Amino acid sequence: MANTQNLELPGSLGRFPSVKTSLAIITGVMMLVDLYLIFMVAPTDSVLGHVQRVFYFHVPIAIMSFLAFFAVFIFSLMYLGKRTPKWDAIAHASAEVGVVFVTLALLTGIIWARPVWNTWWTWEPRLTTTMILWLIYVAYLMVRSYAPTQSKGAIYAAVVGIVGFIDVPIVYYSVVWWRSIHPSPVVGPFAQSDSLDGTMYLILLYSFITFIFFFIYMVAERMELRSTEEALGRIRFTLRRRGR
Amino acid sequence: MGLLGPVMIIVWKDVLLELRSRDLIISVVVFGLLVVVVFNFALNNTPGRSEELAPGILWAAFAFAAVLAMNRAFVRDQEQGGLEGLLISPVSRDAIFLGKALTSLIFMLLVEAALLPIYAVMLDFSALSWTLMLTIFLGTLGFAVVGTLFSAMAVQTRSREIMLPVLFFPVLLPVIIAAVEASTRAVGGETFIGLGRWLPLIGVFDALFLVICPWVFAFVVEE
Amino acid sequence: MLDFILLSSHLPSSNLPYLFAAFAVSWVVLFGYLFYVNRRQHEMKKEIARLQRVLDDDPSEE
Repeated sequence: MANTQNLELPGSLGRFPSVKTSLAIITGVMMLVDLYLIFMVAPTDSVLGHVQRVFYFHVPIAIMSFLAFFAVFIFSLMYLGKRTPKWDAIAHASAEVGVVFVTLALLTGIIWARPVWNTWWTWEPRLTTTMILWLIYVAYLMVRSYAPTQSKGAIYAAVVGIVGFIDVPIVYYSVVWWRSIHPSPVVGPFAQSDSLDGTMYLILLYSFITFIFFFIYMVAERMELRSTEEALGRIRFTLRRRGR
Repeated sequence: MGLLGPVMIIVWKDVLLELRSRDLIISVVVFGLLVVVVFNFALNNTPGRSEELAPGILWAAFAFAAVLAMNRAFVRDQEQGGLEGLLISPVSRDAIFLGKALTSLIFMLLVEAALLPIYAVMLDFSALSWTLMLTIFLGTLGFAVVGTLFSAMAVQTRSREIMLPVLFFPVLLPVIIAAVEASTRAVGGETFIGLGRWLPLIGVFDALFLVICPWVFAFVVEE
Repeated sequence: MLDFILLSSHLPSSNLPYLFAAFAVSWVVLFGYLFYVNRRQHEMKKEIARLQRVLDDDPSEE
């Protein structure tokens, strides 16, 4: 019987500990640098003051949550085509980490909105689309857990990932058009009275790259969890078959 | 075309089944009335505001009714093994999907036809506008196409009552937004051009998902 | 074109609590999730080890 310590688990990234650990260290370092840049290097916005620094977290997280859904879309397509479990594992992990990111995008967006627009929420295209994205992610995860079998769950989830992804741009534009008729006197979260200063833009870019690494690391963690779940399932199955 | 025959047979059978029992169509119509009553008071629909609120209340009612109707239809279908029977037969998956979607569409249109005159009276608007009819048709088509796909999935899951709404509403939001906007203009007497880009939006949505949904439906029902 | 409403009631300096809140929430959520994943991973590995011992002790092994 295989020693579970270095089990070559299918759907995994190969020899786990070293890749994941180095990813964790790189991400950690990048994040520390990012925080330094955000608080020590970034210029203070002349209109909004220090609270504007939330922007360096909120924007990359929001963009990342949409990119994650794109990943879910691609891997869902691949899974429906090839049925390799690995694609489903990546899609699932990306969706779960993605929902964490969208939740955070919404939370930071709300906290950002209050001081800047004097309201917690507004039905403008980006926020509304992010909300819908959150709902579709949740539907994706729900349909996976509530499906009758694991394989059906994977298929249903893939369908939701595909249909949902195609729907998101339509949602965005419909709200843009709606808002042109029902305007509210606030402006989008990325517009500032300062146009984006060179330094600000670079720090934003760096922050974005940091969050890409963070996302990949979190997906790697989640995928390892899934492999462990599968190993547990297999060992339970073996025991049950032996009547224990 | 080889598709048309099986589709029409499926539709014919399902529609006859629904009309014969009649309980589903009556309950959905009653539900539609209840939704309007609730929304009327929830939104504080005083006489002056009716013009502003009517299209929204109309589409909220239609959307909730559609979810209810499709949920019930698929649950009943599953209990009777209707879908299983179709899957064993040599009918193509596309035909099954289109048949089911068309059945839902016809069912919903009948429900809406029953409700519309009542709404016109309760919410004080003129329903005699062919642009309004067109909007209702296209919007309902969107509900039917996407709803059929999601119902086929939801009915297999553990919590089917909640699964369909959770899938349905986020995806169909653009249709609801566009339908309300178009209806507002239609009721105000606008011609087709006056409806702006809203009706084309629903049209594009319908066309897009009429292609996508049958394709993924095959994966949903495969064994 | 400036279609932006500047709220004079909100002095930039008074918004620091929001700044703190946003970053605090970010850390809590991100690390909370990582913590949750790691804890489940740990529990499952313990369970696997336990079941592995049961399997190894099983006299009816083929």
